[in-house]
Amino acid sequence: MLERCLGHRRLHKIKRIIRQSKLTVICLVLTFVVLRSNIGAGKFGTPQQDFDEIRDHFYSGRRVEPRRVLEEAQVLTTATADVESGGSVGKVGSSEENNYSTIDISKILVDEGEDEKSDPSKPYSLGPKIHDWDEQRAEWLKTNPNFSNFLGPNKPKVLLVTGSSPKPCENPVGDHYLLKSIKNKIDYCRLHGIEIFYNMALLDAEMAGFWAKLPLIRKLLLSHPEIEFLWWMDSDAMFTDMAFEVPWERYKDHNFVMHGWNEMVYDQKNWIGLNTGSFLLRNCQWSLDILDAWAPMGPKGKVREEAGKILTKALKDRPVFEADDQSAMVYLLATQKDSWGEKVYLESSYYLHGYWGILVDRYEEMIENYHPGLGDHRWPLVTHFVGCKPCGKFGDYPVERCLKQMDRAFNFGDNQILQMYGFTHKSLASRRVKKVRNDTNNPLEVRDELGLLHPSFKAVKLPSAS
Amino acid sequence: MGEDNNNSTTDKNGSKSSFFPSRRQIRRTFNNIKITVICGFVTILVLRGYVGFNLATPEADAITQNLADKTNRILTEIRNDYNEPDENPNTTVNSTTLGPKISNWDEQRKEFLNQNPNFPNFVNGKPRILLVTGSSPDPCVNPIGDHYLLKFTKNKIDYCRLHGIEIVYNMAYLDKQFSGYWSKLPLIRSLMLAHPQVEFIWWMDSDALFTDMVFEIPVLKYKDHNMVIHGFPDLFEKRSWIALNTGSFLLRNCQWSLDLLDAWAPMGPNGTVRNEAGKVLTSTLYDRPDFEADDQSALIYLLTSPVIGEKWMEKVFMENSYYLHGYWVQLVDRYEEMIEKYKPGYGDDRWPFVTHFVGCKPCGSYGGYSAERCLKNMERAFNFADNQVIKLYGFRHLGLLSPKIRRIKNEL
Repeated sequence: MLERCLGHRRLHKIKRIIRQSKLTVICLVLTFVVLRSNIGAGKFGTPQQDFDEIRDHFYSGRRVEPRRVLEEAQVLTTATADVESGGSVGKVGSSEENNYSTIDISKILVDEGEDEKSDPSKPYSLGPKIHDWDEQRAEWLKTNPNFSNFLGPNKPKVLLVTGSSPKPCENPVGDHYLLKSIKNKIDYCRLHGIEIFYNMALLDAEMAGFWAKLPLIRKLLLSHPEIEFLWWMDSDAMFTDMAFEVPWERYKDHNFVMHGWNEMVYDQKNWIGLNTGSFLLRNCQWSLDILDAWAPMGPKGKVREEAGKILTKALKDRPVFEADDQSAMVYLLATQKDSWGEKVYLESSYYLHGYWGILVDRYEEMIENYHPGLGDHRWPLVTHFVGCKPCGKFGDYPVERCLKQMDRAFNFGDNQILQMYGFTHKSLASRRVKKVRNDTNNPLEVRDELGLLHPSFKAVKLPSAS
Repeated sequence: MGEDNNNSTTDKNGSKSSFFPSRRQIRRTFNNIKITVICGFVTILVLRGYVGFNLATPEADAITQNLADKTNRILTEIRNDYNEPDENPNTTVNSTTLGPKISNWDEQRKEFLNQNPNFPNFVNGKPRILLVTGSSPDPCVNPIGDHYLLKFTKNKIDYCRLHGIEIVYNMAYLDKQFSGYWSKLPLIRSLMLAHPQVEFIWWMDSDALFTDMVFEIPVLKYKDHNMVIHGFPDLFEKRSWIALNTGSFLLRNCQWSLDLLDAWAPMGPNGTVRNEAGKVLTSTLYDRPDFEADDQSALIYLLTSPVIGEKWMEKVFMENSYYLHGYWVQLVDRYEEMIEKYKPGYGDDRWPFVTHFVGCKPCGSYGGYSAERCLKNMERAFNFADNQVIKLYGFRHLGLLSPKIRRIKNEL
């Protein structure tokens, strides 16, 4: 019929055109598909979205949510010690809206507001330059004699600073380990008369991630002139020697104490020659200056990326990734040893930072052969779970090993606290405790083995006799 | 006459007229096949590269599944650990007291303080206070519960740092008999006896937080009392089970307190004792629902008992001039109003000292209130308090629900 309409030759021509354009059309379609998967086509979406949609359509309800896994754990006793008032007992378990597992916290938090945009033409600065901090501080201490910067002859006032994100962890058990970690720090600091500042705020959006500690430290040093030393400690580091007191007199001529080795930093320029997960910084002009010198590699984006490349090239063994504060410090010290080296103390006689990999399997051996108070390889002061990242989804080590070992390290430290009250964990892996000392009706005759109940480093300075 | 090599002839219309296809037809078919094969190959490559052609679950789901498996394994181990039999089953099974009876604690304590002037019970004119709180050693059933435990702990650290108070965060069940809300009794007793230099033990629930960072407890007011607890005289007259709140109270370190703890403890032990006691409490106290004995009802029962109750009450201060415990439902919606009209330091209705999220139980699966309402307001209360802390550094939260902060005054 078509043939009759159009004529024989014409039909032939059309057929030929169609044949030739088949290839063109196929190529066009292919191009479109490739572009779509790369860039997405607006409301037509991407193949990944298609897949998700199809999956949701067929498999809704069978997908595994990490949150739901934890629901199975029946809490055998009421977990928190709270009592209802206000007559709410009858309502328990009735309505679905009382169920916590269906709540998505990200819908409740309001992540509004734009980050403060900084002027890209100006170089990054932690704050207005201060030149006379030592004088300002001395003046303040003089006019405020109630706020002494020393609690005793060799005991400076120390502020331990740590922190975590204000949003819930991606890993469902991450927050639980953060909680245990802060409890561990609370215990050590209570015994040693150290105050704690737990930060949950991002002071400067440009210095996000591991660099966030710099603006925070500067802010705290300036706001608290009564603080002599600021002790930064990562949230994944735990105290495992409750009896060890930092030898403050050793650092009377230094301003910055980090765990590390001189040869590895100055000679080898090794990126793990020191560790910035746990360090002491004196409150003085020198510290403000080194913070300013440290900061330039931090601002996120191009600056940090480029700096990362410089660091990988300059430092031994450093993998390729954006600039981190630790590598930047190694680089700074190695290249400007004359400016800063004199006041930096790289401590390796005790574990101001102890890499967990070489410590955690030896806890039982330590318990058998040694005792708390040593702080070094025999009984580490700090066990630092570098690379574990319990709050995120991905760490550098297997999740199970990390969490199990964090439990052991926590219990190892906690045993030293519990022994004050006559208890200990049933084993390093167990959360349950058992009594090891019978109660008496003369509790003050009992001396705890480690002398932590009334330790000398806690003793209050007596007012001088008039 | 040579045969046509193609073995086919086509007439003018191009239709087949022999058994074998013509050369042109072969070529055309071959071309078509070529195109089809090439296109098919490229399509497979593209799909495989961007969508994932293996029918196993795509990457993100695999990771979540993996994480869930591992978390599952860890939780199974935790559960098994809990079911371990007690090694010394006959330690405290039949005992209803918290430990050996001590009758001369005041003297013992005085002697200690005399011999140890470096550990005074008054520092800078203020009595030494020890804030005690805690939570279960196991992860919360719901992970958001642990997140709020962490935030509330930070809140307590902030208040206590500002006011020179030490904190003990307990995560151990010291006495299996006294589980759940009763675990505070053996804990308080242990701490009192181990730390004679502590003048007051301040118990605070893990679901309570400080919302007035400036307010300080007027300790001088209580120099003749040994227990300070938030309560209402009218409800107390009625013997209501919510007349007092044991979520936040002070207890002086002295003989009287040890005796109170001993008198309070009998309804606590797990099992039949606690269940039976619960029935007694429900029948005696006004409006109490039916459930096992809890420490709050037991204390009210003790303090409202005829004769002995009055004796105890001589040394108990029922405080309600400020919110030593503030019931959250009445407070959380008014935060914006408070920010507008008042300022920190009042501790009362104008600016509550403590906001206590009773009944929310974010650590478990179900609470007594809507989960969304609880979490939303816990976040608001936390930021309401945090604003008072970060204000010292020149910052404030963008909004009461926002984790982000912004500068409010220029850098010095």
